[in-house]
Amino acid sequence: RVRKWRKMIGVGGRDWKHYVRRKPDVVKRRIRKGIPDCLRGVVWQLISGSRDLLLLNPGVYEQLVVYETSASELDIIRDISRTFPSHVFFQQRHGPGQRSLYNVLKAYSVFDRDVGYVQGMGFVAGLLLLYMSEEDAFWLLVALLKGAVHPPLEGLYLVGLPLVKQFLFQLDCIVKEQLPKLGEHFSTEMINPSMYASQWFITVFSSSFPFQLSLRIWDVFLFEGPEIVFQIGIAVLKHCHDDLVKLPFERLMHALRNFPEDAMNPDVLLPLAFSIKVSKCLQESKDKYEKKKLK
Amino acid sequence: MASGGGYGDASQKVDYVFKVVLIGDSAVGKSQILSRFARNEFTLDSKATIGVEFQTRTMVIQHKTVKAQIWDTAGQERYRAVTSAYYRGAVGAMLVYDITKRQTFDHIPRWLEELRGHADKNIVIILIGNKSDLEDQRAVPTEDAKEFAQQEGLFFLETSALQATNVEEAFLTVLTEIFNIVNKKTLVAGGEDEQANGGGNTASLTGKKIVVPGPGQVIPEKRVCCSS
Repeated sequence: RVRKWRKMIGVGGRDWKHYVRRKPDVVKRRIRKGIPDCLRGVVWQLISGSRDLLLLNPGVYEQLVVYETSASELDIIRDISRTFPSHVFFQQRHGPGQRSLYNVLKAYSVFDRDVGYVQGMGFVAGLLLLYMSEEDAFWLLVALLKGAVHPPLEGLYLVGLPLVKQFLFQLDCIVKEQLPKLGEHFSTEMINPSMYASQWFITVFSSSFPFQLSLRIWDVFLFEGPEIVFQIGIAVLKHCHDDLVKLPFERLMHALRNFPEDAMNPDVLLPLAFSIKVSKCLQESKDKYEKKKLK
Repeated sequence: MASGGGYGDASQKVDYVFKVVLIGDSAVGKSQILSRFARNEFTLDSKATIGVEFQTRTMVIQHKTVKAQIWDTAGQERYRAVTSAYYRGAVGAMLVYDITKRQTFDHIPRWLEELRGHADKNIVIILIGNKSDLEDQRAVPTEDAKEFAQQEGLFFLETSALQATNVEEAFLTVLTEIFNIVNKKTLVAGGEDEQANGGGNTASLTGKKIVVPGPGQVIPEKRVCCSS
């Protein structure tokens, strides 16, 4: 499998674009099966468009890290030891993991002063740093938030968290449409998506789901875009549906943060997620949200 | 007086459910205070809270069973866009700062303003100076905080979630005060719109009356008991 992947990428990634253009469905299918761990870092950079950004902007990252100061420095430092605290790479105080994490977050907070630093970005940057260098992780963050191949996600972190609010609204609509019984149960128990899904969106599942599952979600997320976040969300709820509909408020709150092990198995959850169609509902709910905002 | 309840999923009948929010700057120890209170735990490698977290604990106050539903919020200012909705319907607030970080105390007036803007006027508030185990790094004198609390009409305690000092007392102070208010005033059942984040049947103090959304204390029975 790794050999197939290597061929697809080519030396230094030179065959990648050509391959994707020629056989997009093959690429999509292979990514959905999971990118081999040893190639994950390279492939993530290729599919997110961050590789191109890096090549277009030589020296920029170093400039941001070394010469600029950020108003968020203290905020970032305060959270460094509270990001993946039990992961061996980030555990050591002032160790290489924590230093890289600080540098990437600081660089981003200078690069985009409107976003600056927001709690949650650390989990995203941390996940990336396990697979690539600081500079590569920085540009991938830029690609995601500024929208290199998919719509920009900076609204997840801008003042007012506008995109978080929109996504939560959309999730609510999709739950009600696709899992009506559960949607009704949530309404009765006064559960709304902000109580359980804020983290899903803000960290793209990197802070709350098991690591191996997050990686598989990120493979697809980077290639296909944020739709997968909704598909995964609905898939989890669907998988646990029959239990969830029976639970009263408090136990629901607990269950929505502590999914059973079988629900967290990537080979169970991902196929289920792919079978869920959300694009139409996403578009409709987005229109509805925008209308509501105007009012 | 009051005595503590179990930490587990109590299945006894509940007389009252009170919604309480934990607020204050980032990294002052809100989540640690909550896990100490709700589960008697302290996590050495704790994660920053993203959005909101939720825990409950049931206690006995003056022979009545009181359940606290506690919402723990992310401290960073930008998160108020999603967390301030949780103030609604809260009857108690724990306003936390870190005694070793002056700035977290200096921000307390802003948090109070935030609370008074979004929460019920009669909400019971306690000011909490956490990390009292770090006496050698103290940056906020107890007297300053005490004086401030007095001026603003807040309860005040210094706690250590790490050493489990005063955490229980802090919650008891708030819950007992709410309990007394609820008992003193007329109970009015009403169908208040608690759609946003009310989280079910919490008593809320509105104006001079106590409004218990839904059919008053009957609900907790149905809601809490049963279920294995």
